[in-house]
Amino acid sequence: MTDYGMVIDLERCIGCNACAVSCSQENNVSLDKQWNRILTEGGDAMDTPEGSYPENGRDGTLSMNHLPLACQHCDNAPCVKVCPVNATYKRDDGIVEIDYDKCMGCRYCMSACPYNARVFNFDDPKTLPTDGTGNVEERKQGVVEKCTFCSHRVKEDLDPACTVACPADARIFGDLDDEESTASRYIEKYETEQLLDELETDPNTYYIRGEMSPGRTRSGNELEGTEKKAAGNPNGVATDGGDGQ
Amino acid sequence: MSSAPDAGVVVPRFGTRGKAWLALLGVLIVAGLGAWAYQLQQGLVVTGMDNIFSWGLYIMLFVLFIGLSAGGLIISSAPKFFHSKRYDSLAALGVLLSLGCIVVAGLLILPDLGSPSRVTGFLTSPDPRSPMVWDFGIVLLYGLFNVGYLWLLTRRDLAKMGSRLALGVADTPAGRERDRKRAFWAAAVAMPLAVGLHSVTGWIFATQIGRGDWFNPLVAPMFIMKALVSGLALLLVTSILVDRFTRFRFPRELVPELGKLLGIFVAVHVVYLVAAERLPHAWAAHFEFWSITSAFLVGDTIHFWLWTVIGGVLPIALLAVPSLRRRIKAVFVASVAAIVGILFEGVYLIFTGYHDVNIDAAPGVTTGTGYTGLEADIWATTGSYTPTIVELLIAVGLIAVGALIVTLGLRFVPIQPDDRTPVSAGRDDSTATTAGPVATDGGRRPDGGADGEVTGDA
Repeated sequence: MTDYGMVIDLERCIGCNACAVSCSQENNVSLDKQWNRILTEGGDAMDTPEGSYPENGRDGTLSMNHLPLACQHCDNAPCVKVCPVNATYKRDDGIVEIDYDKCMGCRYCMSACPYNARVFNFDDPKTLPTDGTGNVEERKQGVVEKCTFCSHRVKEDLDPACTVACPADARIFGDLDDEESTASRYIEKYETEQLLDELETDPNTYYIRGEMSPGRTRSGNELEGTEKKAAGNPNGVATDGGDGQ
Repeated sequence: MSSAPDAGVVVPRFGTRGKAWLALLGVLIVAGLGAWAYQLQQGLVVTGMDNIFSWGLYIMLFVLFIGLSAGGLIISSAPKFFHSKRYDSLAALGVLLSLGCIVVAGLLILPDLGSPSRVTGFLTSPDPRSPMVWDFGIVLLYGLFNVGYLWLLTRRDLAKMGSRLALGVADTPAGRERDRKRAFWAAAVAMPLAVGLHSVTGWIFATQIGRGDWFNPLVAPMFIMKALVSGLALLLVTSILVDRFTRFRFPRELVPELGKLLGIFVAVHVVYLVAAERLPHAWAAHFEFWSITSAFLVGDTIHFWLWTVIGGVLPIALLAVPSLRRRIKAVFVASVAAIVGILFEGVYLIFTGYHDVNIDAAPGVTTGTGYTGLEADIWATTGSYTPTIVELLIAVGLIAVGALIVTLGLRFVPIQPDDRTPVSAGRDDSTATTAGPVATDGGRRPDGGADGEVTGDA
């Protein structure tokens, strides 16, 4: 079996938002929402630290970290259990996905998700350019949407857009059922946490804190363990699922 | 003035006032439909909801109307289950009221949906794990049960007056006797059904780990209790109004009796259950005696105070004093206050779930509304909500549908038991009667003086 999951090394993350931007770009996400948010653990505003600046030769206490947050693809996903019409479901490969043709927009899943990972199309999506971006069809007004681990890319043996885009190699996507995958080995070796683990949702997303891992050790678009793809997009970031070349 | 064919129907025909009332309801319904059409076209962006505060007025009122639908059915079925005729005069009106409320509750879900045309998914691909599926099932069952039960209670009278609604049933003494037995069995089904309805609606919230105080085993018992409070209060309000404006006669001696019962319900709900819920948290979180006490007694939001003062202190004060609760006006005010309080309990419940975000680091969550351009601030770290005019219009329109159902029921269904004398409409409070087949309040005379006079004019 396959059980896709992600490891995010918070010691590597530099808070650059490249993953968030590439996510919105690849998945055609409306400008008034984000599937992938980069939160600042620190001060009250984005990219501000907490604590005090070192003055007059004293020690400062400034500290700031970044926490990338998207759908955690939980094993015991509350959103899946509450969906009255089976529009959101856990796939056999571990990805929590939404059938946009079934979703009736009751937003019970948004109440259920403790991570606030889901967004609703209160009106028509707004993108620049207006006919959309990336490789995913636009979602209509009145349905809930969220991160899919770029299931359309995974189907093509490509890593999710955020993972490829990360300049700090802080994201590692892989099969948690395969003990030899980088993701599984890092979860084994490094100190990891699942967010809000006291709620027993058992996410497929793990965060490394403490000792820094070597990060994503490959270059390129392709999923770990799959054949090397032909050269990617000449502009550097593949946004077409590898179809175009 | 009443002829035999009308007997039991409390509004034999709509007069000027009746027609004006129907016209008002019609205007409200049309306004609500117009607002819904606008919302369908624009999207839920015209509501006050956003990605954090993702349920608003529709769900708050859904919870309220689920609760309101309890009273009538319980008051009509509980005595029947114990073979008592005590509240027979309210039985049919109560079930009619339950029916109207459950229809409003069910309809309130539709405007809350982003894609209402897909509501058929409840039937074509339901997930049996979802509390909302359980609720869909039990709301449907409860609504159908109310229709059947109302028909069972009134079909012999419908037959007697020659109504087609009797569906061919004949009015025979043996048939009435059989229906009495069937009503017992229907009552035996009604009570667990009502308990199920309110518990399941509570579990929609109580199963959710992600929304603060929702995840609380007390929510379902609270829902049962608030259903008893608001349901009985609505039955009292409606009975008093229908008594005033139609031929329906609300036996005067029931006012203090049901008022006392309402007072007990309010006390159990707002005093006992709230204390039971808050004390352990307050005790565990504080050290000094007085800080435990104040954390226990002092609420944190305006909704909490609106609920416990208007819906708790005020009705208890009015209903605890025997001389006050014999006054129809006092019971009426207490009942309205209790309903307003329960409305704000629902508001309070939704706010406790949505105000705080579990992971609230900056910049927070994208709201998904209020986008004006690339410079717009689309982020929020706490939930906030104010209903919009569109939401209010739609909600009022749906409530008008419920009022229309009750009004048409008064016109076409004989809700007044047949063996009593109709009383003319528009009487003053003080001319209520004490005659009737119903047990009295320990034989006490209400208010005294002329109030006890029988004023039936048939």
